[in-house]
Amino acid sequence: MNKKSSKKSSSNENYSHLELFNLGKIFFKEKKFIDFRSKGNRSGFEAIKDINLKIEKNTFVSIIGPSGCGKSTLLNLIAGLQAPTSGKIVIDGQAIKGPGPDRGVIFQNYALMPWLTTIQNIEFALNTVFPAKTKADVKERARKYLRMVGLEKASNKFPKELSGGMKQRVAIARALSINPNMLLMDEPFGALDALTRSYLQDELLSIWRKNKVTVVLITHSIEEALLLSDKIVLMSSGPSAIISEEISVDLERPRDREKIEQDPKYLKIKMRLEKHLLRETRAVEEVT
Amino acid sequence: MNKAISTRLTFAVAILSLLIFIILWQVIAQQGLLVKNFPGSFKTIGSLIWWVSDPFFDNGPNDLGIGTNLLISLRRVLIGYSLAVLVAVPLGVLMGMSKLAQSSLNPYVQLLKPVSPLAWLPVGLFVFRNSEITGIFVIFITSIWPTLINTAFGVASINPDYLRVSKSLGASKSTTIRRVILPAIMPNILAGMRISMGTAWLVIVAAEMLLGTGIGYFIWNEWNNLSLENIFVAIIIIGFTGFILDQFFGFLQDKFDYSI
Ligand SMILES: Nc1ncnc2c1ncn2[C@@H]1O[C@H](COP(=O)(O)OP(=O)(O)OP(=O)(O)O)[C@@H](O)[C@H]1O
Ligand SMILES: [Mg+2]
Repeated sequence: MNKKSSKKSSSNENYSHLELFNLGKIFFKEKKFIDFRSKGNRSGFEAIKDINLKIEKNTFVSIIGPSGCGKSTLLNLIAGLQAPTSGKIVIDGQAIKGPGPDRGVIFQNYALMPWLTTIQNIEFALNTVFPAKTKADVKERARKYLRMVGLEKASNKFPKELSGGMKQRVAIARALSINPNMLLMDEPFGALDALTRSYLQDELLSIWRKNKVTVVLITHSIEEALLLSDKIVLMSSGPSAIISEEISVDLERPRDREKIEQDPKYLKIKMRLEKHLLRETRAVEEVT
Repeated sequence: MNKAISTRLTFAVAILSLLIFIILWQVIAQQGLLVKNFPGSFKTIGSLIWWVSDPFFDNGPNDLGIGTNLLISLRRVLIGYSLAVLVAVPLGVLMGMSKLAQSSLNPYVQLLKPVSPLAWLPVGLFVFRNSEITGIFVIFITSIWPTLINTAFGVASINPDYLRVSKSLGASKSTTIRRVILPAIMPNILAGMRISMGTAWLVIVAAEMLLGTGIGYFIWNEWNNLSLENIFVAIIIIGFTGFILDQFFGFLQDKFDYSI
């Protein structure tokens, strides 16, 4: 913990936490012999292009866009799981070269290892990121994060014995256990029922407040984005998707799920988002 | 309650069918309905009891106890099989991970896999000039393909989420192989090992007819003695041993079944 806070306070705030410059990603088809001559644009699929974005430290940012526009692609680029075709990603003033434990990633379908128990899944992350830590230290820390998501009782269960919501909580605990400065989440609550979803949203907010992390959340739920974020980033429909709008959500926190829906500010932003999504989704449908 | 009754019923049916089989066999043999001098079940059971009550005697290579022969066969299988697994698993992982390894090794695998391993027996005898090593070599060749192919397939079809998690944590290649890929493909490896063991146990009997000693040679020897009931004894013992080996892998597979 100490290490992290010193790292954070030492940064000179001339730059945002995360900066994307002219980011683009083209998926090239696997090269075949015949394709040799037509190298370049013709055989590639441009998912996103010219993405410019600044995300400030410890803010909560949501990304919304029509299905298939390239949200996951963008998140994978930030996570360093894929390399961009053009542009660069700068974190704390430093261009990233690949994945790193400064970013915790939460995948849409939990991605827990089924051969490991709940606590072992977290220990795996800890052992990988902090190889010097003793076994006891790792266990202690894994327990702490399981407690944080309210799952210490399930520490010796296997993923198949957990409900979807519990699995996602383990995934959140795993991502947080390595003490990242940034949490990258790809539609983390998409597959959950409404009740579990609201419960986990509240939990995520309280974790975010306590741990001081920057959160980048991909979602297709306008309500979720409005409830959670400081800023909402709207993407246009693909291919060659761009960021079409950035909306700051200056609603007071803590936000109450029921009351917020009567707030005229809330309704205004919601309308704007709905209009945008409708337009972009229609654009997708007309293409296909 | 119901379950206990149905288990007991299944058991009773199995015993009954065995009794009917033994009696039918005895009647058919006694009446000479099949061929003359075909051993009946009573005679076969008699010699089974005789062989099993003193399984480990040793009066020279042509007169070994059935247990001694069985252990000889098992030893050959276990050595050749273990060597094959030690080669097949790393090679399979390599083939699953690297396109280059896949495309350079796959033609040989596809070409050699359909060949009966017994075809390698003369090659082994010529190279090693030793029947013991040749037996192990034949089992090695037999066992390698199913495990190799299943391992490579497992790696190629691994859930990409596991690899992404590992990558996002900045895990090294060796950590990813040891802590993610190997456990993830354990069900595939075990399925391959089970098939390999089954085939090895089939092949050793045939190979030993040409090698001397072992349970396969026991059958060949009893054929020369025209003692069909002893061959039936060997068949029962081979079947029973194969069953136990297969059950062992079935047990392991259940332990490593991650399915949700
Ligand atoms: N590895 C790949 N190779 C080729 N095309 C890809 C690859 N990954 C994604 N794409 C394409 O890029 C586009 C964006 O995909 P992406 O998964 O980022 O969309 P998304 O916005 O996350 O969609 P969803 O809302 O359905 O999750 C899609 O058209 C997809 O087909
Ligand atoms: Mg997606």
